[in-house]
Amino acid sequence: MSSRENILERCRNAFNETYERPNLDDINPLTFKDPLQQFQATSEAMGSRVINVKPGEDVNSIIRDVYPDAMTFASALPEITIATINPDTVESAKDLNKTDVGIIRGEFGVAENGCIWVKQTMKERAVCFICENLVIMVPGSKMFSNMHEAYPHITFNENGYGVFICGPSKTADIAQVLVTGAQAARSVAVFIMPE
Amino acid sequence: MSTSHAKAAEKFLRDQEYAKWHDNTFFGVRVKRDIMAREVPEWETLREKASQIKMHTLSHLDKYLSQFADNAEKNGVIVHWAEDADEFNETVLSILKENDVRKMVKSKSMLTEECEMNPYLERHGIEVVETDLGERIIQLLGQKPSHIVMPATHLSNDEVGDLFEEVLGSDKGNHDPTYLTYCARLSLRNQFLTAQAGMTGANFGVAATGDIVVCTNEGNADMSTSCPDLQISVIGLEKIIPDYECLAVFQRLLARSATGQPTTVFTSHFLKNRPGAKPMHIIIVDNGRSRWLADEKHRQTLKCIRCGACMNTCPVYRRSGGYSYSYFIPGPLGINLGMLRDPKEYSGNMSACSLCLTCQNVCPAKVNLADQIYMWRQQLPDFGTENRQKEMICKAMTKVMDSDTLYNKLTSMAHLANGVPGFLINSSLNPWAKEHKMMKFPPRPFHSIIKDMDKQK
Amino acid sequence: MKVGLFIPCYVDAIYPNVAMATYKLLRSLGVDVTYPQGQTCCGQPMANAGFESEAIPLARKMEDMFKGYDYVVAPSVSCTAFLRINYPDLIGKDHKCSIASKAMDVVEFLHDVLKVKSLPSKFPHRVSLHNSCHGVRELHLSSPKEIMTPTPFNKIRDLLELVEGIEVVEPERPDECCGFGGMFSIEETAVSGEMGKSKLQRHINTGAEYITGPDSSCLMHLAGVAAKEKAKGANGDDIRFIHVVEILAAGL
Repeated sequence: MSSRENILERCRNAFNETYERPNLDDINPLTFKDPLQQFQATSEAMGSRVINVKPGEDVNSIIRDVYPDAMTFASALPEITIATINPDTVESAKDLNKTDVGIIRGEFGVAENGCIWVKQTMKERAVCFICENLVIMVPGSKMFSNMHEAYPHITFNENGYGVFICGPSKTADIAQVLVTGAQAARSVAVFIMPE
Repeated sequence: MSTSHAKAAEKFLRDQEYAKWHDNTFFGVRVKRDIMAREVPEWETLREKASQIKMHTLSHLDKYLSQFADNAEKNGVIVHWAEDADEFNETVLSILKENDVRKMVKSKSMLTEECEMNPYLERHGIEVVETDLGERIIQLLGQKPSHIVMPATHLSNDEVGDLFEEVLGSDKGNHDPTYLTYCARLSLRNQFLTAQAGMTGANFGVAATGDIVVCTNEGNADMSTSCPDLQISVIGLEKIIPDYECLAVFQRLLARSATGQPTTVFTSHFLKNRPGAKPMHIIIVDNGRSRWLADEKHRQTLKCIRCGACMNTCPVYRRSGGYSYSYFIPGPLGINLGMLRDPKEYSGNMSACSLCLTCQNVCPAKVNLADQIYMWRQQLPDFGTENRQKEMICKAMTKVMDSDTLYNKLTSMAHLANGVPGFLINSSLNPWAKEHKMMKFPPRPFHSIIKDMDKQK
Repeated sequence: MKVGLFIPCYVDAIYPNVAMATYKLLRSLGVDVTYPQGQTCCGQPMANAGFESEAIPLARKMEDMFKGYDYVVAPSVSCTAFLRINYPDLIGKDHKCSIASKAMDVVEFLHDVLKVKSLPSKFPHRVSLHNSCHGVRELHLSSPKEIMTPTPFNKIRDLLELVEGIEVVEPERPDECCGFGGMFSIEETAVSGEMGKSKLQRHINTGAEYITGPDSSCLMHLAGVAAKEKAKGANGDDIRFIHVVEILAAGL
């Protein structure tokens, strides 16, 4: 028998009794009257900078204002005209290293913890992590209160990868001192987009 | 009477200043957890649901495991099964060899620690680079993790600073954690870019969709898998959960319990390899778990989601440190996992519990950690690891307690012990006297006083 | 309502005043309480040490001794919890085990059964409350900080606050273990001692004159640590130890 068969066989015989799947509809989770407002507060508490983009405003100029010293911008989004490098067309993920700002799109936000769902729509997802600073644009109209509401809405495309991101990369591994900017982006700006 | 843990703990406590710092540091994490949990009104409901989901999944594990593997294969993943640590290590090595990998970056995985994968691969000429900062520090020092979530928290910034001066060439005397973290970032960045393979552990495997879910704060699991051409993810078979509806429960509990954050910074879902990269591999590892699953008394340990909260709350862990336990996982969880692994080898940790029960109150999956320690203690004679001296004391006590005449005689004479010179009572032969001054016995025990009172009535 | 007074071995031998205070307090509240002679130990120390079988004859004896009573009341949370939680597993399979559901700590009995709302006692002192682990986490005399109870409660405090003149305070980490743990304290002497010392210090930091609690074994441990510290020249000698019932019965 193969290892797979052996392992499954032992699992099959391990229990005499079985346990029913619990009903998860009665958790009655925390919800917020204004999930967007809560999302902003949580995002800031988790170390993100939150910027409300007004209708008709050009994100490119906002990005330039937020990162006045930035020279290189990585994005595969058509509206990001200041992009200097495109994760769809780079030969290798490594080419994105040391980019000053990466700009990506998030699909929705979660108020309770500030998470933003990001689906890999670009060829090299390294753009979400390898840049020094990260801008995530998320529609203000797509906010959920909690993860129970959010999980039914995550989707994947053929790239088969997605991630909830909440703020800049962090660590407290040295003497329990919280430091932002461990391995991934050292700062995150969340752009809340109008309709 | 001293166990291996008691001896190691005694050594740990000799440096009082450090011991107090250690206690306060980990208790601080427990306090953060309390604050975070209190913000969730349905917290206790979540814990109960998490426990029920785990029991349900474990009792149908064959079904969920096959479903997970089938779905992963449909996604184009190559799924391997490993019965034990040897098969696991060999599988990893053969995948790496087939793909000409000379260097592999990896995110944190207690499973690879359990299987001692790193030394195995290094013996076979593969360079393995830990990328979680704490794990990297430990690796560079040649140590083992002292905690499952905060593996290097037992070290001071000066110790890390000295290390980085030596191996990373950081500025002499600059031991500022922000600076040191930046130095590690630069060094690890280079590793991410030059490795041919990236490995992740798994916090969850989702049966319905076949994805590996990894939660990190540093983003190192994502960095490890977004540059190299080959991704290997490894998962202990108890980490399987049915679907996203269940995952939502665990995602909400994990970071709040572990570090007192509402979420980890990254909750990453890996279904397959990146476009243009080599196929992704998943290795499902048993290594004793399916056997433990059949152990009615102790199978609950498999509900654990590895948040480490039981360590932070444990008054014994905080006052004895991760290295005082002989198993590679410390604290209440480690005591239990060690016993499952090899009771003869790891019975020396059984004493490290005052049965205060706080561990099972913080556990997000309601693992009955202390109840199990109590049960293991009852089982020690089966393994021949019971403490004979303690057994003798207990047997003698029962002899006295089972006979009221003997009991009455002894208790009525107890006050005579007050007259025994202090140097005899407080001698090293009396373990109670190590930390306590002997109590004074009253002239008469209660049962004798009330007997007279009842007679007078 | 017939109440049997259960006085655990170490209370009998070392703290007869605690047993007497319990007896007198219950009497003063009109309770029909008697102390069956022939009691010894409930078996908890042996069981927690890993020798459950040594506790079985003692458990059977307890069951027989308290057969005719409606409640079994004891001034000791840990022993009470052992009766309630462990006895059914120990003797319940082949022996009747009615004692488990009748066993009550005196604090619970006063708070939940008698529902005491006033007491004649006076105790004009600041006391630091020691919530013993098994009182908190097994008998639920108070809500532990780590459980997210919607409304935190403390039955011991409720009762103490009926006493005239008392000021009840709690130390930092109010429900962290003091490090007694029965055999734990002689098997893990260093950790047990360290836990005891830090617990003692937190109680002292409240500025209290007394440490009080519902379990004399924790108090015995802390008192032993305090006296040893004093012998070493450290502080900790001034604070005194008193069982909750001794305060509730003060002046009787």
